[in-house]
Amino acid sequence: MRSTLIRPIPGFVLALVVAALLSACGGSPPPQGKVYRHSIDGTPTSLDPAQSATIYSSVVVVNVFDTLYRYKYLARPYELTPNLALGLPEVSDDGLVYTFRIRDDARFTDDPAFAGGIGRAVTVHDLVYSLQRHFDPATRSRGAWLWQGRIVGMAEWAEAGADYDRPVEGLKPIDDDTLEVHLLEPFPQLTYTFATAFSALVPREAVEHHGREFAIRPVGSGPFRLTSFDSARATFEANPHFVRDPLDLAAEGFDPERHAGLGLESLDGGRYPFLDGLEIHFIEENAARWSSFARGNEVHNVMVPNEQVDRVLARRSPIRFTDEIEAKYHGMAGLEAGFVYGGFNMDDPRFGHHPDPDQDAANRAFRCAVRDAFDWQARNDTFYYGLAEVFPGVIPPVVPEFDPTLSEASITRDVEGARQRLAEYGWDEASLPTLTYGFVSAVQQRQMFEQLRAQLGDIGYPVDRLVPETFATFGDYYEAVKTLRVDLFYLAWTLDYPDAQNTLQLFYGPNASPGSNNFNYRNPEFDALYERSRTMQPGPERTALYREMNRMVIDDCVTISGLSRTRIHLWHKDAIMVPDREILAGYFMRFVDLVEPDQADG
Amino acid sequence: MNTLRLVLRKLAGGIPLVLGVTLISFVLMVYYGPDLTYTLLSKNPTAEEIASVRAQLGYDRPFWWRYIDYLRELVTLDFGHSFSSGERVTSLLARTLPVSLALLAPGFVLGNLLGIAFGLLAAWHRGGWIDKLIMGFSVVGMSISFLVVIVAFQALFGVVLGWFPVRGWNVHDLPSYLYYVTVPTLASVFVALGYNTRFFRAVLVEELGRDHVRTARAFGAGPLSVMMKNVLMNAMIPIVTRVLFSIPLVVVSGSLLIESYFGIPGIGKATFEAITSGDQPVLKAVVGLTALLFVVILIAADVLYTWLDPRVSLDRAEAA
Repeated sequence: MRSTLIRPIPGFVLALVVAALLSACGGSPPPQGKVYRHSIDGTPTSLDPAQSATIYSSVVVVNVFDTLYRYKYLARPYELTPNLALGLPEVSDDGLVYTFRIRDDARFTDDPAFAGGIGRAVTVHDLVYSLQRHFDPATRSRGAWLWQGRIVGMAEWAEAGADYDRPVEGLKPIDDDTLEVHLLEPFPQLTYTFATAFSALVPREAVEHHGREFAIRPVGSGPFRLTSFDSARATFEANPHFVRDPLDLAAEGFDPERHAGLGLESLDGGRYPFLDGLEIHFIEENAARWSSFARGNEVHNVMVPNEQVDRVLARRSPIRFTDEIEAKYHGMAGLEAGFVYGGFNMDDPRFGHHPDPDQDAANRAFRCAVRDAFDWQARNDTFYYGLAEVFPGVIPPVVPEFDPTLSEASITRDVEGARQRLAEYGWDEASLPTLTYGFVSAVQQRQMFEQLRAQLGDIGYPVDRLVPETFATFGDYYEAVKTLRVDLFYLAWTLDYPDAQNTLQLFYGPNASPGSNNFNYRNPEFDALYERSRTMQPGPERTALYREMNRMVIDDCVTISGLSRTRIHLWHKDAIMVPDREILAGYFMRFVDLVEPDQADG
Repeated sequence: MNTLRLVLRKLAGGIPLVLGVTLISFVLMVYYGPDLTYTLLSKNPTAEEIASVRAQLGYDRPFWWRYIDYLRELVTLDFGHSFSSGERVTSLLARTLPVSLALLAPGFVLGNLLGIAFGLLAAWHRGGWIDKLIMGFSVVGMSISFLVVIVAFQALFGVVLGWFPVRGWNVHDLPSYLYYVTVPTLASVFVALGYNTRFFRAVLVEELGRDHVRTARAFGAGPLSVMMKNVLMNAMIPIVTRVLFSIPLVVVSGSLLIESYFGIPGIGKATFEAITSGDQPVLKAVVGLTALLFVVILIAADVLYTWLDPRVSLDRAEAA
C-alpha cells in the first residue's frame, strides 16, 4: 500500500475549499451608516414592475421605482397622495380624459444603460413606455388587466405588433412633464392604478440594455437604488438624486394618539429617505425570522408568526402586548388589506348554475347549506388565534364601502337551518353531490380541509363525499382552479387598491375562468350593476350599488366569505417607523429612520 | 496512457447514464412539474395570451424536440434564462455555486475527518465504553431532525449566547466568512457525524479483524501505527467511495435546509425554488450538471482506486 498516494485526496478537498472560499468572499462590505433591515415572509422572483404581482416583489419595486401616486404613510383607511405626480389629475367633465403632471426634478439612478452611465431625467414618455410594455406579449405582464380595454388605441397598438416607436392614440404627452390619458369609458379607479407597483416608471434604455435580466437589475428613480439581490435578501443604498418635498407628518395621517410613543414627531419636516441603506431579508421560515428579530441586531422588524402570539400578547381583544414585549419593542396590529374566502365553481350543474329553475334553486339551497355549516369562529380560533375579523360578503373592512350594518347571518353557523334547507329541496344522502376540495399539500391546509369535512358532517353531508385533491405547489393548485378541476376552493385575495370594485370584479361574468372570476358566477343582474358602477365616481350612489352586488353574492351563496387576518408587527425601538406588510403600503420604507439604541424610547 | 484510455472509456460509458438521468428527470419536469402558465399571466387573460405564454415557455412543442433542446443546452452549457427571474442560468449557477461550496465545504471536510477519527477510536475500543459512548452520540446525532438542530443552534449561538448571527451571509473577507459559516458548519457536522462515524467504524472494524493487522500487532506495532498504516490505509477504498460520491450532493444540490434557515443564497435554495416554481431551465441545468459530475466522480474513483491499492489494475477497471 502506497500511503503517499492518498495525499491527492485532502489536497483536492483543500483546493475545493480554498477556491470556494475565495470566490464566495468576493462580496462587497456591508453598507455603512443608517441601514434598516426589514424582514418579510416571502421571496420575490422578479423585480420588473410589469411582473410585480406579489407583496414580495411590489415592496421592492415601489422602493426602487417611482409611481405617480402612493398611499399616505400613516392614514388608515388608505388615502392616495401624489408621489411623482404634481397633485391629483385633472379630469374632464365626461371622465374620459385625465391630465397628469409630474415633477421635473426626478432622475433615474446611474446605470450603464444610460449615456455615460449617468441617469437621465424622468419624463412622461417613460410612463407611456411603461404602460405600453404591459401590452407587449414579450413582457409577460401580470398587470395588464388594470388597463385592459381602458386606454384609447392600446389594443390596436398591441395588435399592430407592439412597436414602441409608434404612438398610442390615448397616451398623449403634452410636454416632458404632462400627459393626457384618453379613456374608452370613464374609469374612476385610474388614479389608484397609478399607485400600484405595476405602474412604476421604467426607462426604455435600461430595459433594452439588460434584456430579461432587467427583472433582477432594476433601474428606477425611487428613493433607493438596488445594489444586490438574491433569494435571501435585497440590499439598497439611498438614491442621491431622489428629491421630494419635506415630510409633512400631519398630511401623512399622523394621529398623536394612535402613534404616540413611536418617535415619529422627530421626522416631521425632514427630507426623506432618512436612511443610508436598506436591506430587505426574505425569510419564509417563521422560526428563523423570529430568532433573527429576537437577537436584537439583525432584522429590525417581524410580523408575529402564529406560534408566537401567546408569548407576545397579554390580551387579544382589544390587543395588548405583554409588559415584557412592550418594554423591549414597539408594536402595532391592524387588519390586512384583503381577506380569505371559500368558493364554489358555479360552472358545475350539480351544485352551481343550472338551466332548470327548480334545480337551480335546489343547487342554491345546497350551497347555502354548506355555507351555513361552515363555522367561521372555529376557523378563526383554530388558525388565526381568534384575532381575525369575520365579516359577511366580499367587501372587506378596510375599504370605505364596507357595510358594518350588514346582516351576519351568512357568517353565523346554523346547523339546523342547513339541515332544513337540504330537506326542503329534496337533498338526501343519495342525491348529495361529491365535492372535490383542492388545496396545496401542507399540514395547515390539510387541517383546514378536515375541519370543513367535520363541519359538513354535522349537517348530514357524508364525509366521503368531500374529496381532497392536493397539489404540490400553489401554481398547480391555481391552474386547477383556473381549469375548473376543483369544485370547492379556499383562497386569499389581496387588494390592489382600496376600492370594493377590486373584489366585486371577482364575480363579474365576463371575468370567468381563466379570468379572475374563479367562481364562474354569471348573474346578469349582478353584471348589469357592475357595469353601471364601473364608470361611476365614488359617492353614496356607487356605494349603494356595491353593497347591492355584495348582497347578491351573499344571497346566491356563491362564496363562503370572509375573514380578514390581523397582522401584528413588532419592531426594535431604534427604528422610527410604522411598518405595514400590505401590497398598498410598501412605500413606508422611505420614511423609516434609525436612532442610536440609547436614544430610543424605553 | 492506461489512465487516459480508462478516462476516455469511462467518459463514453457515462453517456448512457447522462441520457438516462436527463430523460427521466425531463419526463418528471414536463409531465409532473408545475405548469407556470397561470402564474405568469395577467388576471383576465384571453385565449391568445394564454397560448402566447405557453409558446414562450415552450409548453406547446413536442416532448422530443424539447428533450433534444435540453441535450443541446447541456452540451453547450447554455441553459438560457430562468423562467421566474429572467436571470441567465449560467449566471445564477456562477453566483450560487461558490456560496454553497464555501458554506458546505468546512462541514463536509470536518464531518468526514472527525467521522474517520471517531470511527478509528470506536473500532479500536470495539465493545468498550468508548465505543459505546461514540456510538451513542452517533445515534443521537442521527435521531434528531436536522431542522430541530438548526433551530436549536440558531437559538443557542445566535440569541442566547449571541456569539454568531442567527442568519445571513454578508461575507467579504475571512473574518466575516468565519462569522457566518460557523453555526451552519456546526449544525451540519453534528448531524453528519453520526452517519459518518457509524459507517467508518463498520469499515474499520472489518479491516481490524484481518490477518495482516494481527500480524502487524504480533510484530509489536503500536496502536497508532496499526490503525493508521494497517487499518486505515487498507480501508481507504470504501471510505474514498463514500466521500467522493457525496461530493455531487454537496457541490450541486447544496443543502436546502441550511440555506433556507440561515438565509444563504446558495444552489440548494435555488434548486428548491426551481422545483416548486417549475423553473425548468434552472432544473435542467442542475440535474444535467449533477449527472455530469457523477460521471466525473465515477472516473475519479476508478483512478483513485488504482492509486490506493496496486492490486486494482486499470486493465481490470477497464474490463469492468
